[in-house]
Amino acid sequence: MPSQLSFTGFACKNLWRRRLRTLLTLCGIGMAIGAFVALVGFSRSFEHEWGRLYSSSGTDIAVVDKNFMNTSVNQSLQEKLRAVPVVSMAEPMIFNIMDITPEVNALVFGWLDDSYEFSSLTFDSGGRFHNGKAEIILGQMLAKNLNKKVGDTVDLQGTTFTVTGIYAGGTALEAGAIILPIDQMQALTSQQGKVSGFHVRLKPAPAGESPEHYMKRAQAEIEAALPGLNAQAAADRASNNQFVGLAHSVAWGTSCIALLMGILGIANTMAMSVFERTREIGILRAIGWKSWRVMLLIQTEAVVLGFVGGFIGILFGWGALEVLSKLPQTASVVSVSLSWVHLVEALGISVLSGLIAGAYPAWRGAHLSPVEALRHD
Amino acid sequence: MTSPQLEVPQLEVRDLRKSYDDGRIEALRGVSLKIDSGEYVAISGASGSGKSTLLHLLGGLDVATSGEVLYEGSKLGTTVNLDEYRANRVGFIFQAFYLLPTLSALENVQVPMLAISDDANSRASRAEALLLEMGMGHRLKQYPNELSAGERQRVAIARALANHPTILLADEPTGNLDSVNSARIMEILTGIQEKRGMTLIIVTHENDIANAAPRHIRIRDGRVEA
Repeated sequence: MPSQLSFTGFACKNLWRRRLRTLLTLCGIGMAIGAFVALVGFSRSFEHEWGRLYSSSGTDIAVVDKNFMNTSVNQSLQEKLRAVPVVSMAEPMIFNIMDITPEVNALVFGWLDDSYEFSSLTFDSGGRFHNGKAEIILGQMLAKNLNKKVGDTVDLQGTTFTVTGIYAGGTALEAGAIILPIDQMQALTSQQGKVSGFHVRLKPAPAGESPEHYMKRAQAEIEAALPGLNAQAAADRASNNQFVGLAHSVAWGTSCIALLMGILGIANTMAMSVFERTREIGILRAIGWKSWRVMLLIQTEAVVLGFVGGFIGILFGWGALEVLSKLPQTASVVSVSLSWVHLVEALGISVLSGLIAGAYPAWRGAHLSPVEALRHD
Repeated sequence: MTSPQLEVPQLEVRDLRKSYDDGRIEALRGVSLKIDSGEYVAISGASGSGKSTLLHLLGGLDVATSGEVLYEGSKLGTTVNLDEYRANRVGFIFQAFYLLPTLSALENVQVPMLAISDDANSRASRAEALLLEMGMGHRLKQYPNELSAGERQRVAIARALANHPTILLADEPTGNLDSVNSARIMEILTGIQEKRGMTLIIVTHENDIANAAPRHIRIRDGRVEA
């Protein structure tokens, strides 16, 4: 059987003909998609870890002020909260981010020493801290990065704390975090009597009441008991908190800039290619190719660039997440968990970028006059 | 009695004019002629006389400033779609061959068929048969830069025949060839014209080629010489 020429094969041969330019364009779109995969992947894994942070400890509702970052809720409201009929347990907590060393920053949680949230932790060595004492426990990832073990000390904001335990957290956020007595956290931040909010475990839903209805009723009862505070379902809190929102915004913003650069790269390649192949386009038109078929050929080349660039970008992005997840500066907030949906989305965006980038060069190529194109040098 | 339909020439040109540069350059100044199906016509003239412009208009590669080109009585560009006409009715052969450099000889011949046929097997088989007919069976996988000028033109002829055209338009087909290859190419073209009963229109500035054609049209300053 003689060798067959397919339409797609023809498009690929055109790209292969200018290998260096094709390779550079693929690198360009690959970097853009890599940035998307890494940044958006990071922000989504960050959100996912937040969700796990609540679910692993069995928290159903987070009661917070309108501003998540504020440590402005009175701790004394804990008793009022515990008195709400649907509430099984309510624990105050403070959340913050601190520079531990110039290179390493970490999430810092303030808990009571008898908080139910300890149930999600497993101690590798040592044990819980005690309220009122300058003691901390470290997530195993952070302990490894800081090279600390039980009995060592850590300076936080000028105060020396003794490490009483090293734990394996249920999530990457916990594994890279510090947890200390809530009173010590209040002293460090000069916020005595104030907390970021409360984590609440609900009593089991009464028979016959759906989980969704029960959750809504519980939220309403808590908000009625504590006017001015928001009772948010843990799953909603994980996706709507300011850290996750900021991560999403930065990830998408940076990705869009990178994608724009990638699109410009493909557009430049295709525009150059159309210019250099003006006579060839004239030949195609002379031998009966319709305008739309010429347009389709150029768009196919752009889509192939986008598709292959997308695969390269996924490899770049995965590699970047692997590296970030191992760096001490970022290990506490970056985990390598790429979903199929995210990868398909990346590939789709890459192909769409190719289509957008190829649109004008394709239109221009398709509307060349055959005879003018044949005269082109 | 002859049917009125058979009296319609395959190609008819009526008062054809073509100008460039906002009318400052007049390439054709009112050309009218008729060409019947199966004719072998040579068009000659000095450089810049308008002979190639006329060929481009006959082949639907360009549109006239005024006047009309009729294919079997239907006007090109209005009743007859130019893309369809170029894809199915005419085959072009150029002086510079215009083969696509990224494709082998066999693949070059398949390119026109991509426009009208979805069957990859039949495209490849037909391309191979055409190249065999051109005596290029041993050079199927060679790329244009690996072929001699004569071989390239033979591939170009095979490509022009790919979609079973009824008219073959050749623009200085021997202009880049030595005398031996010129003779071979002319032999192939006239052979195709006779064997298939195709209309062959050759633009040339070589008198011996023009004079060998049964009908010779001379163009001078954009007009047909009497």
